[in-house]
Amino acid sequence: MSAPNPAVTPLVEVAGVTKRFGPVVAVEDASFSIRHGEILGLIGPNGSGKTTLLECMGGVLAADSGAIVRDGRPLTPDERSALLFYLPDAIAPWPSQPLAWALDYTMDIFGGRRPLREDVLRALELGPLLDRPLGRLSKGQRKRALLAIGLLTPQPLLVADEPFEGLDLRQARDLARKLRAFAGGDRAMLLSIHQIADAARVCDRFVLISAGSVCGEGTLAELCALAAARGAAPAGPGLEEVFLGLT
Amino acid sequence: MASPRGVVWPLIRKEWRELLASRAWWIFLVLMGPLVGVAFISAVRAYGEASGRGGTSAGVGEAFSPLVGIWAPTFSGCEIAAAFLLPFVAIRLVAGDKQSGALKIESQLAAATWVRVAVKAAVLLAGWLIASLAAAAAVLLWAAYGGSIYAPELAAVVLGHLLNAGLTIALACAAAAIAEHPSTAAIITLSITVGTWIVSFIAAIHGGLWERLAAYTPTAMVGQFQHGLVRLDSLLIAVALIAAGLAFAAIWIRIGTAVRRRAWASLALGVAAVALTGALSLIRPSWDLAENRMNSFSRGDEAALRTIAAPLRIRVHLAPEDPRRVDLERRTLSKLRRVLPQLHVEYVSTTSIGLFEQTAAGYGEIEYELNGRSASSRATTPEAVLESIYSLAGIAPSADNDDDFRGHPLAAEPRGAAVVFYVAWPGVALACAALNYRRSR
Repeated sequence: MSAPNPAVTPLVEVAGVTKRFGPVVAVEDASFSIRHGEILGLIGPNGSGKTTLLECMGGVLAADSGAIVRDGRPLTPDERSALLFYLPDAIAPWPSQPLAWALDYTMDIFGGRRPLREDVLRALELGPLLDRPLGRLSKGQRKRALLAIGLLTPQPLLVADEPFEGLDLRQARDLARKLRAFAGGDRAMLLSIHQIADAARVCDRFVLISAGSVCGEGTLAELCALAAARGAAPAGPGLEEVFLGLT
Repeated sequence: MASPRGVVWPLIRKEWRELLASRAWWIFLVLMGPLVGVAFISAVRAYGEASGRGGTSAGVGEAFSPLVGIWAPTFSGCEIAAAFLLPFVAIRLVAGDKQSGALKIESQLAAATWVRVAVKAAVLLAGWLIASLAAAAAVLLWAAYGGSIYAPELAAVVLGHLLNAGLTIALACAAAAIAEHPSTAAIITLSITVGTWIVSFIAAIHGGLWERLAAYTPTAMVGQFQHGLVRLDSLLIAVALIAAGLAFAAIWIRIGTAVRRRAWASLALGVAAVALTGALSLIRPSWDLAENRMNSFSRGDEAALRTIAAPLRIRVHLAPEDPRRVDLERRTLSKLRRVLPQLHVEYVSTTSIGLFEQTAAGYGEIEYELNGRSASSRATTPEAVLESIYSLAGIAPSADNDDDFRGHPLAAEPRGAAVVFYVAWPGVALACAALNYRRSR
């Protein structure tokens, strides 16, 4: 019997996750898989259900149905905590505490990747900000600080909500390049992104979500083929055209 | 991942840093000095004036007990702080995590939510103990004036206020966990605090079940401890309510659990807490730690009363607001309950104030029933009540009454107290706050 290929074997699967807020269906029967070492982009416009889906995955919001599955078995909350770390968007945790403390604290409580600390600080240019309280960082600085927290966690899957939100073009490109450097091997990433150009720069594969439903999953080529199969051939080769064709 | 046990120490350090970063705690700390100080200074002055007028210690009674004259009023400053300042400190520590988004990160920890809540409560209690050093300063000043300190009764007062602080912390944590916004949590906490006062007020009017409920409000509990009375039922109920409040908070910070499940868990917790407190209220042991034994009859009377094995029924025809009933309850029946486990007291009245019942036949009567024999009397003094009981039981107490407490008069002025509480304490607290602020920047 041959060993499973980690490049295509799912690290984890999202199976039929549904979340309603009263009469509003925020996420409906969302299913897709995340592979070892890849960067998977969850692509969709604002209000498409990306954050809700990620919060359900991260265990900070209760899904109405569905599960996070590994090896065909739904994960318990403890198993999920050990497998993935969810980095929310638009948070400013521990605003009175300096960045250095926040990094050490999260590594202490999650058992983080200490050998990576200096690399992450250098890559995200956080060295000069270590003594500054998190509440006094600019939006872009805080984004990088939170990303550092996420990158230093030990879980094999980092789920980050809108990591490029609030960054200008140059910062977003720079960050995308650095994220790529930290992915692969024992670290996969699921990034929710509403700017399709940002997603195209950093992701290996894509999950397209619109109005709470997953419309497609795969590489750009696979999504192009899927669009063509559905009779919605994209007008061009770019991800934007594919997205428009499939949603 | 760090083990659930391995996260406790980092969590303690984090909560401690967050407490020190909280302006609410520093304000609480600064104000604690003047709050305790004004109570202590007034108490020492009043005690000194009364002692001066009394002249010598011969013949003085419980009026010159530091428990009633000094500790109860001084620690009332702590009670005010617990009711009106401590909730904001606790709410800041719990709601801050929700507002900043830190809760979403910490919710992914393998450690159980109750561990996180317990750590918060422990750090808050440590913060309370530091603020309570103001009361410790009052104890030291009193000793410096030459005042008497009877450790057991002082320990009872400290224990009562510690439990009261625990109740406040648990309530505020629960409110902050369920409320979306800190201001809502503050309103909930203060409403419940005021609600307990209303229960006491209604109890004074209507008696009955309200009276039994009011006996377990924080104010009533603190009152018992301030009189040196440690009742096991009150103590255990306070501990149970603290645990229930913290468990409620732990349920509601589990943000990844469906609201309906959290609501059901809360309901189950509420039912269990009510059942537990109901069962604990049946526990009888209590200890009178007051040096003047103000919660007990004389040892001779207690020895005589303990020989009564049969149930004693007392039927009191007095309205809840009748001063005679209040006097009877406080000076006699509360002491009697501690000695006679099989005492059944029934209050009978048709009105709350009794003003228009005075002409009714039987109003004001106290009926006693023991071993099939009965007697009645209108006297409400301890001596008269005991005489009726002894007469029914056919026993005579030992003549050797041992009330050897002669009081501790002290005609002292509160020298230096104003400087300590109004200048030094706030000054040191503000200096520490400034130092902490500079370090964190």
